[in-house]
Amino acid sequence: MTLIEMKGLRKVFGRNIEAVKNLDLSVEEGEFLVLVGPSGCGKTTTLRMIAGFEEPTAGEIYIQGRLVNDIEPGQRNLGMVFQNLALFPHKTVAENIEFGPRMKKVDPETRLRRVREAAEMVKITHLLDKLPGQCSGGEAQRVALARTLVTDPSVFLLDEPLSSLDAKLRREMRAEIDRLHQRLGKTFVFVTHDQEEAMTLADRIVVMRDGVIEQVGSPLEIYGDPVSHFVADFFGSPSMNLIPGTLSQESGKARFRAPGLTVELPPSFSQAPAGEATLGFRPEHLAVSQNGGIFRGEVRLVEPLGKDTLLYFDRGGERPLIAVVEGTRTFREGDTLGVSVNPDLLYLFGGDGKRIRRGSKGTGIRPA
Amino acid sequence: MNRRTKRRIAAAFRFGFLGASLFAVGFPIYWMIITSFKPDNEWFTWPPIYWSENWTLDNYRVVWLGIQARITAQEAFTMQKPLQALKHSLALALISTTLSVAFGTLIAYGVSRYRILSDRRMFNLLMLRMIPPIVVAAPLTLYYSALNLLDTLTGLVIVYVITTIPYTVWMTKSFIDEIPHEMEQAAEILGASRWQTIWEVIFPLIRSGVVATFLFILILTWSEYLLALILSKVDVVTLPVQLSKYEGTTEGRVYGYQAALAVGVTLPLIVIGCFIRKHLVRGFTFGMVKR
Repeated sequence: MTLIEMKGLRKVFGRNIEAVKNLDLSVEEGEFLVLVGPSGCGKTTTLRMIAGFEEPTAGEIYIQGRLVNDIEPGQRNLGMVFQNLALFPHKTVAENIEFGPRMKKVDPETRLRRVREAAEMVKITHLLDKLPGQCSGGEAQRVALARTLVTDPSVFLLDEPLSSLDAKLRREMRAEIDRLHQRLGKTFVFVTHDQEEAMTLADRIVVMRDGVIEQVGSPLEIYGDPVSHFVADFFGSPSMNLIPGTLSQESGKARFRAPGLTVELPPSFSQAPAGEATLGFRPEHLAVSQNGGIFRGEVRLVEPLGKDTLLYFDRGGERPLIAVVEGTRTFREGDTLGVSVNPDLLYLFGGDGKRIRRGSKGTGIRPA
Repeated sequence: MNRRTKRRIAAAFRFGFLGASLFAVGFPIYWMIITSFKPDNEWFTWPPIYWSENWTLDNYRVVWLGIQARITAQEAFTMQKPLQALKHSLALALISTTLSVAFGTLIAYGVSRYRILSDRRMFNLLMLRMIPPIVVAAPLTLYYSALNLLDTLTGLVIVYVITTIPYTVWMTKSFIDEIPHEMEQAAEILGASRWQTIWEVIFPLIRSGVVATFLFILILTWSEYLLALILSKVDVVTLPVQLSKYEGTTEGRVYGYQAALAVGVTLPLIVIGCFIRKHLVRGFTFGMVKR
């Protein structure tokens, strides 16, 4: 069932800053939807329009089939966790959690019970008498979650809630939010600029760019079947190797050329239009050998990560070419190696940044 | 010169400067207090008497209790009513400060959150304070006499509220600005009404700032002289005005009485000053709201 529906949503700030341009999106009940994109892409504005803090310049928002454009945030039955958490610093943790039910005139006894339940759910019962300022970053995060879930909202809106935490804590809290989502079975709309967060948490990812939706899909779809140069580049760590060059069609064979690199593309690309293009391949799809390969180069940097090792090749472009190899193999900086790639795992993007898909004869790229 | 010597010289300068400042500020206060306890024959003596051997409470009795003075021609002073002046001053200061802070805080909230006044208007508001009071005093007298507000508490309250509101707006706005908008939005989405949000979230967070502002304005209105002098005459006399009335005609300045009254006027200020210091420190470290 569709829980939130946005139709032709548009938001203009001031005279001509268009933050969101004609956005159509529906959120299904119980799903974990992640809005992701670089800063300024309109993801937070979209979330804030759902919450009711920003009034859409045009378009409609329906929550549970009800048009909410003219309904105040407090009446939309939503819960929101803010980027800065926005805990009330002068109230204890218990008072913070109790705030929502108290404003909704829930009787004191029920309130107490619900505060306790919420605190138990996120494991902060020992903090109830403390002030938010006395809590650590992760604890404060849990308090913010408890304060939201105690009101039993139909949707949880989370605006980059983990951005202020260090890496380890962020992973922990990510798991915590995931667990909460599964346990409550509620709808979550989560905003982040962190692709890893999006990949690990989402049922469905909405990639936004410059106020428009670039692609919607499951994490694996987004990763394996990006619709554009932008999406391909945004997802994955290390990110996809993208080499700008030109595509030519010579006697039925597609050939991609870039400085120091010529690749004969599989026949499935024989329909692709010639011209400016970008070739992409994921670092983990590269094979490294002493001889051969589509490209030979000197290893500039070896970055052992334990399980894997990253090899950086300098090929004159803005970004180095990166290959992921097994951590058990040893390489030294300065080695000259050949790099090859499985032609089935190549991506091609046109001069406009859109993906050039394989022709009908082609095998098509399966999600990796 | 080694570092230690340098530090010592710097310290000497620092203490020298602080000592001189303290003397400049402290000596008049000392002189006021000591004079208030001197018998009348020591008020004018030369060389001055820095520490009286014959200290007395007479000045206080005359000024505050209205007991007949010993020297002749002092009847006039006992007739004046310092207790009533105290009452008027207190009432004026408390009422106008309360109103000024209440309105000012609400305006500041509106400016901070809804920009009900543009930056330019806010600046103009502050400029209101830059006008020398004497410029408005004369026209105000005309208007006030037409409106029957001359020599009334109401009249003074109105003018005090108007002249202090720029301060309250500017001061409290700086405290409200410190509160992240998300704090209010969090309250809002949890179901709080606008007033509940102000009362439950905003006010507790700016309380120490509001207290500091209140005391600051209280000092201003308590010690205001010019407008009180011009806009009131007989029925309403404030302490600062009363203070000036102890300059007699025949016997010259009656320093002892004046000092005794001045002690009463300044003492509350000093006490408030001590309070405000603590609150101002809290007020200025207010940015500690966890973000």
